[in-house]
Parts: sequence; C-alpha cells; structure tokens
Amino acid sequence: MRPAYIASWLVIGLCAIVGDIPVVAQTSSTADTVTYGKTPEEYYPYSRFQNPYNKFFIDTLAYPGYGRHIPEPDHIDSVNIGFIGPIIRSISESAGGPEDIPYRVGQRTVRWDGFYASPLAPWGIKMLQGAKLAVEQANARGGYRDSIPYNLVVKNDNGQWRASGRALIDLAYKDSVWAVIGSMDGANSHVLIRVALKIEIPVMNTADTDPTFIETNIPWVIRNITDDRQMSYLLADYAYKKLGLNRVAALRESDRYGRMSIDEFRDASTRSGHPFLVEMQYQEGDTLFTTQLQRIKSMNAEGVVVWGNPREAGLIYNQMHALGMDLWMFCSDRVVSGTFLDTVGPDANKVAAGYPYNPTSKEPKYQAFVQAFQERFGDAPETYAAHAYDGAEMIIEAIRQVGLNRAKIRDALVRMRNYQGVTGRKDLDAVYSNRSPAYLAVLENGHWRFCSRADLFGKTAQADGKMKSKE
Amino acid sequence: MIRWMTVIIALLLLSYPAAGQEPAAGKAGQDGEPYIYTDWECFTTESTHGGLINDHIFYIKVDGEKVWFATEGGLSMYQNGQWTSWTEDDGLPWHVVSSIAKDPTTGDLWIGLFGYGLARFSGGYFEHFTQMNSGLLNDVVYGVTVEGDNVWVATTAGISAYNTVTGNWRVYNERNAPMEEVWTYSAMANDGKVYFAVWGGGILEWDVATQSWTDYLDPDGEMEIDLYRDDGLVHVITTSAYYIDHTLWATTYFGLSRYDGRNWRGYMDIDSGLPSNFLNFVVARDGNSNVTCTDKGVAMLMDYASDTWVTYARPSGDAKTWTAYVMAGNDTLRTVPTNLSLPNHFTIATDIQGDDVWIGTGHGVARGIGKEFWSGLKPVESGKEQRGGFSLFNIFKKKE
Repeated sequence: MRPAYIASWLVIGLCAIVGDIPVVAQTSSTADTVTYGKTPEEYYPYSRFQNPYNKFFIDTLAYPGYGRHIPEPDHIDSVNIGFIGPIIRSISESAGGPEDIPYRVGQRTVRWDGFYASPLAPWGIKMLQGAKLAVEQANARGGYRDSIPYNLVVKNDNGQWRASGRALIDLAYKDSVWAVIGSMDGANSHVLIRVALKIEIPVMNTADTDPTFIETNIPWVIRNITDDRQMSYLLADYAYKKLGLNRVAALRESDRYGRMSIDEFRDASTRSGHPFLVEMQYQEGDTLFTTQLQRIKSMNAEGVVVWGNPREAGLIYNQMHALGMDLWMFCSDRVVSGTFLDTVGPDANKVAAGYPYNPTSKEPKYQAFVQAFQERFGDAPETYAAHAYDGAEMIIEAIRQVGLNRAKIRDALVRMRNYQGVTGRKDLDAVYSNRSPAYLAVLENGHWRFCSRADLFGKTAQADGKMKSKE
Repeated sequence: MIRWMTVIIALLLLSYPAAGQEPAAGKAGQDGEPYIYTDWECFTTESTHGGLINDHIFYIKVDGEKVWFATEGGLSMYQNGQWTSWTEDDGLPWHVVSSIAKDPTTGDLWIGLFGYGLARFSGGYFEHFTQMNSGLLNDVVYGVTVEGDNVWVATTAGISAYNTVTGNWRVYNERNAPMEEVWTYSAMANDGKVYFAVWGGGILEWDVATQSWTDYLDPDGEMEIDLYRDDGLVHVITTSAYYIDHTLWATTYFGLSRYDGRNWRGYMDIDSGLPSNFLNFVVARDGNSNVTCTDKGVAMLMDYASDTWVTYARPSGDAKTWTAYVMAGNDTLRTVPTNLSLPNHFTIATDIQGDDVWIGTGHGVARGIGKEFWSGLKPVESGKEQRGGFSLFNIFKKKE
C-alpha cells in the first residue's frame, strides 16, 4: 500500500474525528436541483450513499458544428424524408420491394412461429403507415413551399448484420434525405444514431423505448416516445406502493431489449428496498417456461416482471396460471397488443404494463388522426403508428420553418420542446427525449384500462412524482 | 494543537513521492510555460482549389512527410505543399472515407469506407473488402489499424482482423470477446496492444503477446453520472483510444480518461482545460501530453504533472481567428491570439507530425507549425523550477 494512500486516509480519518472536514473525497460541482429523466430521489443511483462527482444530461445538448452554413440545393424534385423500420416480415417478402408491404393491413399477428423475419415487423408496418399518413396529408396541403412534394424514402431495418447503419448511409448519401424517422429495435437504433452523428443528419425516433438510446449525448437525435425509464418508475410505484408487494421476481428475454429495458425497473426495485428475488431469462421464440416459473413459485413470489414480446409474455401468463400462480404480472408496453390478448384469453386479469401515451384520449386532434388513419388503412392505429405520425409531422414542420438544411432542421426540431401531437404533449428534456408522463395499462377481464399517475395516486403525486409507501 | 500536528504529519507523508506515481509539479506561468501554437496553416477545398477533396474531415494519418486525410468526399494526401486526391473516379470504392492505416512493412494503405467496407490501396490500385466477400463483420467501418501482419477493423457490428500473410480473418463480437456492446468505433495499435473504443462498451484491449482481451468499463455502471472522478473510465460511450509510453488515453462524450496501468485520472470541462466533454478523438505524444478534439475546439494537455493545458477555440461565433487559452486545470491563466482561421471549431481528427500538429474539422484542416517546439513546461527563469515533489509550500500556495 502506498504511503500517500495511507496518509490520505489518515488525514481524512483523523480530521473527521476532530470534526475538521467531512468524509467526502470529491463532491459534485453541478447543480443538484435538476434530475435527469424525472428520476425520483429514491430511485436515483447511489443517492443514499454519495453525491456524484458529475451529473450528465442536465445541460441542453448543443451542435456547434459547421452544418448550418451549408447552402440549400438549387433544385430538387421532392423533399426526401427517410424511414428506417422493421417492415419486412419474411425472407420471401424481402425479395420484393417493401413499398407494397405497408398496405397489407388487417393481418393479425398471432401466426408468429417462424413466420416473420423480424417479430417487430407488424409494429414496423404500423409505424410506416403513421409516417406515410403524415407525409400524404402534408402533400395534400401543397407540399414544401406549396410546390414540391414530400417523399418518404423507405428502408427495411433488417436486424441481422446491424443493417440500419448502412441503410442510413444510403439514405443520406444516395437518396439525399433531410431527416430520418427510425428505428424500433434498441441495438439497431443505436447503430443508426451513431451513423447519424458522423453524417450530421437529424433522426426522429418514435419507437425505441430503451432508456440508454438517448444517453449517448448525440445532438442529432430526438425521441418523441416516452421511454422505459418513465414507464418503469410508474410500474415500480404501482407494484410496491399501490399494490404493496414485496417479493417480485423477474423473467425476461435474453436479448438486448430484455437486458436493457428492464434496467430501470430493476434499479427502482433495488433502490426502494425490493430487490428482485431472482432474474431469469428466456429466448425469444421459446414456448415452454415452466422451469423458470416453478423456481419463481418456490420462492413465494407475489409478482413477476416479464420483459419481452407479447407472445412469450402471453404464454408465460397462461403457464403461470396452469401452475396455480395467481400473481401480478408487470410488463413492458409491448404486451399491450392483440397478440397478448389473443394468447391469454378474455378472462385474464392482474397484468399491468407501462404505456407511452393514452390511446383512449378523447382529444379532438387524436380523434381526427384515428379517423384519418382508419379511412386510409382500414385499421385502427396504435402506439407505433401514432408516434410515427407525430414524428413525421414534427420533421415536416421543422422543414417548413427553416428550409432544406440538416443542421437547421435539427435546430427547429429541438426547439419543439413542448410539441402538441396526436399522442399528447411532448416534453423534450435536455437531451431531447420525451418525458411526458407514462400511462399504466391494467388488464381487467381481457381489456386494457389506461390510467395516468393521477388516476392511480392522486393529483399531488402526479405533480411532484413522489409518493409515500403504502406501508 | 494535537489536531494541527496530525494534519502536518499527514501532509508530510503526502509529500513523499510514491513508487510508480509521477511527481506532481508546479503551475504554468509560475514554474514554466507550455508551448503555444500561434502559427497555423489552414486548408479548405476552396483555398486549395479542390486539392483537398472535401472539407468534412473524418480522419488524419501522418505518414512520414505525407499526411493522409479521410474525408466525406474522398481520400486526400498532402506532401511538400502539394495535394493529391482520389475519388470513385479513380477507383476508390466509396467516397466517404472514415479512417486510414499504414502498413509499415508493405507500405499498403488500409482505408475504412463508411458503409462500404474496407479498401487496400497498393500499387496504385484499390482492392475492396466487404461483409459479403470477406470476414468483415459489417460494412460500416469506423476505424482501422495495423498490428504486425494483422489489419484490425472496427465495425458497427464488432471487430474483424485480417492476416495479410495467411489471408485468414478472425472476428470478435459479444460471443467471443468481453463486449457489452459490439459497436466498435476506433482502433489503435502500439507497443504490443490493440485498443478499441467500443460505443457503450468502454475500451477493449487486445494483448498481442497473450492473445487475450481486457475490457475497461465505467465502474459506477450508470450512464447519467460519474460517481468518482478517478475511479476508472469516465464513461462507456467511448470514441477513441491512444496508447503510448504504457499510458492509455481514452475519449468519451463525457470527458477524457488517462490510465497508466495502475491509476486512472479523469478530465472533464469542469476541472480541466477541456472546453467541452464532447470529445471526438485523441492522439498523444507521450504519457505526459495529448491533443484532444472536441466540439468546441482542440485541447492540448501540455504537461500532465502540472495539469497545464493550451486550448484552441474561437472566442465567439464571429471571430476571425482562434485564441489559445493557457490553463492550469480549469483556470485560464492568459490568452494568446493565433492566426488559425478555420471557420468552425468542431474538431474531429488530429495527428502529430514531428513538432507540428494537424487538426481536421467539419470545414477544413489546419497545421500548427511547431517552430522551436518544446515539450512539458519550459522554465521562465533559472532556479524557479519546482518539478519534483508535491511540497507543503505548493499546497499552501494553492490555498492562497
């Protein structure tokens, strides 16, 4: 052990004894009044032990580069907006062009087994439909400067080989798009934004709820969907404070979605004194979960966190009940789908999931969107369609405001700190991630009931984000 | 009385230089002066009449008297005042060039192509490697470096290594390397090590002798904070790594880290000469000094021991030239005008050519001319050097 090390502890120890200095080696120099991600104090990392040396994502991200000086092109035939999403369901479909695929509406997604190249494709198609509707409506209003049509340039996000990076490079350098909407999968979205940073092109994310997606300090990324951080806080509050549970286990997908998106729920559980009894995994596509469930049962769990896609979550619910486990199940927003309901049946209860907006809103703007979507595509919109519609509208509005310059479009987008979309008011934080309050979807006899924090805890709790424990 | 004696004894112990610990020193301005680059040459596509093929610079590679530039519009080379460039018309497979490495044995140039794989430039011809015709894990290539017979490639889906003698490829991703994420962003080989900055995965080190990996992560494990300044890598969102003198320098979008094999040191805009925590790239002359590209200028740590920096940035948006800020830690001691006139100080790439330094920005490149360059601090007056020891005098002087 080095003398300096010993000496420093000697100084600290002795001085502490005589009351000269506090036992804190390094202190934060940043203001403590702002908390990133609207994190309640009790869920903030190390909050019981140490004030961090530095806090990130507090100051507004800036882009101080050269891009704003690049002149507009002299002539264009269309204003191209890129779209990257998982829209191709099968290998055979990938041989054809993706343009026709979005219009195959009305297909239910229960036939999952081995059919889709990406299990996200049904949602990706909804996402594309939402963006398409916004572009069509903008063109119906006259297009860019009342003369030039907007054009959505569509690329499939094939999760294999991290193809989203190459897709964005082609969109930027070959298709000359001005901004991009995409993508959905967490890993591919990370790939996408890293490429966007180098190219210097704005990316509007409308579908990836991975908290870390925005925690990369890239000033070209805007996310208009409420993320798993906000949804996890609400879920954890519901489980531990509303329901008063103490013994919760976790069962999640073994992929990046399961690994990263459960993070905030796990941390909130641990920091509030309810660490998971166990955290087990399964592979996407698995159909049998009894081994994991029997272990959870043996631990006398009161609830199970299931983080993954809806089909597996539905099968877990069924097998849990077959084992006599009448437990609460807490899930991500992905289970709020027809696939899950079809799998668990009409009598299912005691399932709660985070949700990024209120799909039962009676707001006229939202109702008008729902009607337009149904007329256009013959099917109801859902979260991915609605958020993509908002995202496309934001890009179109930004282009209308500042013209054809990627950096200026980025500036216009990040100025929309309180954008009012069909999914409600978007509250972008310092790193341009939407922090609108999450909703809780509670399954009651096979139907989802959507609750705000105020619905669950009262208006005071909604205002300050803090609630007292039920105990 | 006892309290004061305790403090004095402890401080005396502190003043004893520990084994392996570099001696702390005095302060710029009091104990010596750092070198300041006041004379710069600036180059843009316009000023070189197209010689520099594109103003958006992604990478700079010094190669003896030559300097290679990876740009958004092709490959450029500067030598003895002359520019030469290559585009797709000249056989370059793709015009967006992300990185460059030189094979010192064969003289081949290895070129990372952003979205279109890798090229070997040899004998005036380009050979094209992609994920469909080689072991390249992905066509989005961010970094390339040469170590022995191996060409290491940092891609967005992991690391590929091509043996130029056997023609064999090896690939590394989450299945066979300690990679929390696979998005590798830069590659750098030196002195028996190969380093990769892994986006979201910290720094990955390949030891050539043992053929094994070591990963370096942020010990606090949280994205939104740095719990302690010097406990390890500042953050896992890394952008580049540079290894020299058994010292690792690593940039992140949250600050700079230095690791000497035993101790970590973190640098951020709140405690150092860094004008920003958004760091794009770092190169180093040695374990004592480096050049760091940030989105708000270029920061040069000139003397590690005294924490002396010279940071170059435009003082305002409409300034015609950049200013040099001489800093001790986060304190600006004085400013010095320079003739550096690039229109934007978002710096992306840098490399060192002898005493000169090159920087690449989003709009042009510049060369700092290191006439009569010196490293470290140059004593102002004889007898005032205080380089060896963290004396009580210095402690009390700092308190004043």
